[in-house]
Amino acid sequence: MTQYDAIVIGAGHNGLAAAATLAGAGKKVVVLEKNGDPGGMAANSTVAPGYECPAMAHLLSNLDGAEIASLGLERHGFAYAATDLPTISLSSDGKHIVSDAKGVRYADGGALAGEAEFLTLRARLIRFADQLAALKRKPPPSLSGIDWREAASLGKLALGLRRMGKEDMREFLRVLLSNSYDTILDEIDDGPLAGAFALDSVLGGHVGPRSPGTVLTLMYRLANGGAKHQPRGGMGAVMRAFEKSAKSAGAEIRYGAAVERMVLSGDRVTGVVLADGTEISGARVLSSLDPKTTMVLAGVGNFDAEMIRRARHIRTKGCTAKVNLALSAAPVFTGLSDDLHRGRILHAPSLAVMEKAFNLAKYGELPTSPILEVTIPSLADPGLVDGDGHVLSAVVQYVPYSLKQGWADDSRNALGDVVVDCLDQFAPGLKAAVTARQVLSPADIEAQTGAPGGHWHHGEMIADQMLMLRPAPGIERYALPVEGLYLCGASTHPGGDVTGIPGCNAAKAALQVKLGRAAA
Amino acid sequence: MKTEQYDAIVVGAGHNGLATGCYLAKSGLKVLIVERNDYIGGAAVSRELYSGWTYSNCSYVCSLLRPEVVRDLDLARHGLQVIPYESGATFMSNGDHFAYYSDHDALRREIARHSKKDVDAYDRYSKFVTKQCRFIKPLLLRTPPDPVRFRPRDIQELLYLGKRFHDLGARDMADTLRFYTMSVGEFLDEFFESEVIKAHLAGSGIIGTGLGVYSPGTAYVLLHHYMGEVDGSIGAWGFTRGGMGGVSKALGKAFEASGGTIKAGSALDRFLIKNGKVEGVVLENGDTYTANTVVSNMDVRRTFLNHVEDGELPGDFVKAVKRFKIRGSSGKINIALDGAPTFNNIPGTANFLRGDLHASESLDELERAYDAWKEGRWSEDPYFDMLIPTHVDPTMTPPGKHMMTLFIQYAPYELANGESWDGPNRDAFADTVIDKIARYSPDFKDLILHKEVRTPWDIEREVGLTEGNIFQGELTFDQLLFNRPVPGYADYRSPIRGLYLCGSSAHPGGGVMAAPGANAAREVLSDLGRKGFGRAA
Repeated sequence: MTQYDAIVIGAGHNGLAAAATLAGAGKKVVVLEKNGDPGGMAANSTVAPGYECPAMAHLLSNLDGAEIASLGLERHGFAYAATDLPTISLSSDGKHIVSDAKGVRYADGGALAGEAEFLTLRARLIRFADQLAALKRKPPPSLSGIDWREAASLGKLALGLRRMGKEDMREFLRVLLSNSYDTILDEIDDGPLAGAFALDSVLGGHVGPRSPGTVLTLMYRLANGGAKHQPRGGMGAVMRAFEKSAKSAGAEIRYGAAVERMVLSGDRVTGVVLADGTEISGARVLSSLDPKTTMVLAGVGNFDAEMIRRARHIRTKGCTAKVNLALSAAPVFTGLSDDLHRGRILHAPSLAVMEKAFNLAKYGELPTSPILEVTIPSLADPGLVDGDGHVLSAVVQYVPYSLKQGWADDSRNALGDVVVDCLDQFAPGLKAAVTARQVLSPADIEAQTGAPGGHWHHGEMIADQMLMLRPAPGIERYALPVEGLYLCGASTHPGGDVTGIPGCNAAKAALQVKLGRAAA
Repeated sequence: MKTEQYDAIVVGAGHNGLATGCYLAKSGLKVLIVERNDYIGGAAVSRELYSGWTYSNCSYVCSLLRPEVVRDLDLARHGLQVIPYESGATFMSNGDHFAYYSDHDALRREIARHSKKDVDAYDRYSKFVTKQCRFIKPLLLRTPPDPVRFRPRDIQELLYLGKRFHDLGARDMADTLRFYTMSVGEFLDEFFESEVIKAHLAGSGIIGTGLGVYSPGTAYVLLHHYMGEVDGSIGAWGFTRGGMGGVSKALGKAFEASGGTIKAGSALDRFLIKNGKVEGVVLENGDTYTANTVVSNMDVRRTFLNHVEDGELPGDFVKAVKRFKIRGSSGKINIALDGAPTFNNIPGTANFLRGDLHASESLDELERAYDAWKEGRWSEDPYFDMLIPTHVDPTMTPPGKHMMTLFIQYAPYELANGESWDGPNRDAFADTVIDKIARYSPDFKDLILHKEVRTPWDIEREVGLTEGNIFQGELTFDQLLFNRPVPGYADYRSPIRGLYLCGSSAHPGGGVMAAPGANAAREVLSDLGRKGFGRAA
């Protein structure tokens, strides 16, 4: 039986990034993935034969140059099909609003009232986000004693804040835990522009724009200036690059390998047992699954009551669904130029409408007016489709995991209809062009990826579950109380989105720890 | 028109204004308090609007009043008497109820009736909340530091905060951080399984705020209602004998005993400001009073937007004041009753009827009540905090009669479609509440002799609280500690030299606490180079 230095559970981007980092440091690594493909939540899905669509996540915003370079992703086939996508916020009166790095305007080119205020606010939040980004690549600041290596990153943050000047620093301390509703509406009127900006503060989470703490989430999303990019070949291709990066560093990847439990010797993990009974031994196990599932695999009896209680309390109410469409022809949105069709098209007409949509989700009801982030990836990347057709990818915000009537085909269809009907209003004929439809409810996402509650970030990204409180106090620095066992998924600091950073951070944390002699 | 000179003038005779006045007068200053209404007390008043019945018109129960202030100002000698009430209950639609006894064993038995698991959970919960109360209490009577300026006192205060936090130890530090950022709903979900127990406890997290039980930050609001005490018993609440006006009356007496002057029926027109320095006040009747120190008990928006001339303040400050969120979210109904109402399946002798009564039995129900508010409607199934103080304090009504006070959450300041609160809407609002109570009390409606209904508009008009918000500003993190009311001005001072704030807009916020008043007085005295009365900074 082969003895590995590290076993990584799950071949999502974080698992693969962890594997690449460990293998790059000369460790013998195996990645175990229960599905047949890499990717987890960042994979492609075949909507109909010949129609490839990003299954869940479809845009990149937080994947940094640093990770792209250190993992050699470009060498392994990663490329963008389109960068700096314009954001189009649909308006029922036809006055759609476009925002991009240059500014904001109506889709017909007309100038927009409130542009200056909006740009000032956005620039300010981006400045704040840049400061917070200093904390991203390190384990979160510790509450139990100061490690001087970390003090440097905190010192950098403090210095950066100080350099912003008194006024900015005051504003930073004020809005840090504030809500996006007030922060945005203090500057501009409610409407599609406000909605588009606020969507980033709630997308993937179980929060409304009025929920305090959403500005922090917004700043997380603005860490790279808020730019959104479309990867070539869909998210699946990004994952292939992550996979190749891990493989070329020397990691072994086994698909169809579901981990049934971990093997412990005393307080130390020594390997895993697969569903088919195969035992694999390794000195370290890094799990990209959420803490609860990971602890169950390790045997809950190996954790004290408080740890279990804390893990149980991690909030993972998934609130985001996905609708993927195969279309016989490219949709034509009234009032949008061809170029803009390649952008990120949002249905977030106002903060008031978004908050109302959240109300329904809170009580387990389906949306009536869906909040959407739509892309038509095949426009910039025709290789996704064989022939003339197109695929449309829609992230649907405010779809409850715990649907009152339960998730079955009829509720999935109802959700699909609501989304298609909404889009058809803005792109007449779209409905008629749909040849196939795939609806992934939060419950489906949970079943496919193992993410609890189908939550996109494996745990709510809100202040009481961020930084040193992520995923839970006591396990914020990737290591679980079982020796050699680490978390490396989106549930850990800094959190969700396709970044690979939790994976890299966890691998570095695991490498720093000297294992007991018997395990070495 | 007359002109008189004082050492210090306080505008507004709410409990904080009175407290500031007391401290200043006690230090030997010649102090004047001007009050717009014909009576003192602001929202802490007892008024007879129906012959023979005294209402606690706005504020209605007492717990947060800082014991330090009570001692400093000798309020007991001036007539303040707080009678603790023992318990409370939540009525349920299935005819059952959850009684919240202050007797620990009785409470455990009652919790067990609803959930065996929650019995021990309650002990853990109560220990946790007490710990957080202990952590925060010493901060109430301190001036928040300015984390951006590095004056010695800011650094000293930051170190103090840091040390207190650090002393908690790693585990409690994490718990504290989480607690301050999470919602009361999620906080309670972590402890309890019984919906009615959660709902009973959650009310404290939303009273007076424009937030729902699942809005992050409401766990702190819960604490804000727990950190008080009656006779040293943490978290206990009580009735002031003679209604909440008793607090103001005692403060007023203490003030006059120290030589202070109160002029009621004296509405402020404007502050007199020259070269960025305050010189006094001008009343609506034209009377002018001069002083080098003026302290405003009004909320920050009213103080600076209504009574300071344009151009006297820096633009950034005005913008920050306009941005300060003061959201009307509550209503109040006071009712004169012909006798004690009876409640379904509950004997009239049950001692929990002497405490706070509710009829919201799940967190979802409370959250839906909030959803209505967000859309400019009063909750059709509202949360209420209902008390019958006359069970404990018979001085408020003729013998055998009763008075009921109802605090209702939520009632928006701005109704949808710009509708007016005056007229049919006020009645419809009251009917919603009264109908809900009648579902639990068959004889309640027949006992009503008179009622006083207060919408956010009424509270604003009479008490002067912007939007009728009882805390003079939302208690969200962006408006607490060094952010309250305006970053850079959390030390009770303002851009106008000599003009201070002492109301609940300032740290540590609302509730009949008198902490902002005491803190403001300390800062004033320190600027005057006088030895402060009471605590050092």
